[in-house]
Amino acid sequence: MTSELLSVFISAVIVATVLVALFSDRVSISLIALFYASTLLGIVFTLYGNALVGLMQIVTFSGAVSVLFLTVILLTGESKLGIGATRVTVAAVAAALALAALTFAYVASGLGGASPSEYPDISLQTFAFLWEFRPWDLLILVTVFASAMVTVANLFSRET
Amino acid sequence: MASDQIVFLFTGGLLVFLGIASISYSKNLVKTVMAFQVVLLGANLALFSSGLSGGDSCLVTDFCLTIDSFVFLSILVGAAVESVGLAIVVNVYRKYGTLNPSEIRKLRH
Repeated sequence: MTSELLSVFISAVIVATVLVALFSDRVSISLIALFYASTLLGIVFTLYGNALVGLMQIVTFSGAVSVLFLTVILLTGESKLGIGATRVTVAAVAAALALAALTFAYVASGLGGASPSEYPDISLQTFAFLWEFRPWDLLILVTVFASAMVTVANLFSRET
Repeated sequence: MASDQIVFLFTGGLLVFLGIASISYSKNLVKTVMAFQVVLLGANLALFSSGLSGGDSCLVTDFCLTIDSFVFLSILVGAAVESVGLAIVVNVYRKYGTLNPSEIRKLRH
């Protein structure tokens, strides 16, 4: 996958998640879509050479601000709007699995078992480093994201 | 890398436009804050993409502040502003019992 194709693909996914976040009738679905948009933007920052900014983006917006939004939605009772908990759970798990599969496919297609220093592209170096030295961290991270989405969906389903 | 820059600049501009449009028509204050976050994401993406073309060019030479430093600063300031906005939303809901801006405007008079 070339760099241009990757940037177009990530941009399209970001715009799609933002459209879901802005034009969804249910605030909980907007929150989940916004979480994915923030995470994707952090991935963009990491891919294009600044892992610190990407990490700060994910920690701040995907973590702290999403929890703040969740707290405000629970406080203001917007969860009484009613959501399809089963569909949301399935959608969240499917989205997390798709994200993990895409990451895995990209890493597997670009590595081929060589050492990270052989890659001139900084994005491949970052992924190669993660895949060589931190594969379990990636797996745990994806599992934690999926569990968090299921927990959010369960919180809303208990309110309704 | 130049085409990446153009793609991300376009995406950032599109996100800013979508966010401002959603702020203007939103009927829920929480959705308004979410739209503000979308504007912030677009601005950060556009700012970050503007630094993709050059090398390690220091914008402020004394401290070597790069574009990434400003993106970092923008993320932190944006998160703080959103926190204050959400606190205001909670207080407005406690006082007026609704999050619809037009209803709040009617209740004030």
